Amino acid sequence: MSFYENTLVTKQDLPKSELEKIKDKYNEVINSNSGKVVKIEEWGLLNLARKIKKYNKGFYIHYKFEGNKVTLEEIKKKLKTDRSIIRHLIVKYKNLDVKNEFFKKTK
Amino acid sequence: MKRKNKKFQKRSSTSSLNKLSLFQKTDGKFNRSCPLSIKNAPVIDYKNISLLKKYLSENDKILSSKITSVSSGKQKKLTREIKKAKILGLI
Repeated sequence: MSFYENTLVTKQDLPKSELEKIKDKYNEVINSNSGKVVKIEEWGLLNLARKIKKYNKGFYIHYKFEGNKVTLEEIKKKLKTDRSIIRHLIVKYKNLDVKNEFFKKTK
Repeated sequence: MKRKNKKFQKRSSTSSLNKLSLFQKTDGKFNRSCPLSIKNAPVIDYKNISLLKKYLSENDKILSSKITSVSSGKQKKLTREIKKAKILGLI
């Protein structure tokens, strides 16, 4: 059971409900295949440094979770088939630092 | 003001060679310590884009460690994190 961080970049023109659905969907995927979500962060709509698939803005969702090979394969399969996600990145970590938030919304 | 730390002893052996250069303005770039390996340095992470941006030129090229005097281990970590941030479109 090693620690992973998964960030998703979704299209900019998705309604709020759609984003919630995506968030819960991947939350569900992780929890169902012997994984445990430690934290979910929403970085919100950020403009991208360069055009990705003709989009200039992307909604970022960031998961910190714990899992093994099975959860990884499941997530990768889902991410590839999902049309609304334009880019994703999964990083393996020895230990997750949950405390510092770099994209915290300064309310 | 002579700095009294471990690094200074190592330098004193070479200073006897360039006795002449004592009067020239010692260039800050050469004996500057690595800004990332001080005690509580900022964590190098692909999410910490404000730190990564400091080590990028205007057209987003990674500055060489000769210029930013970053130690080689930290420079390797820096390039990996910058490339991850580029994949995500953050930088």
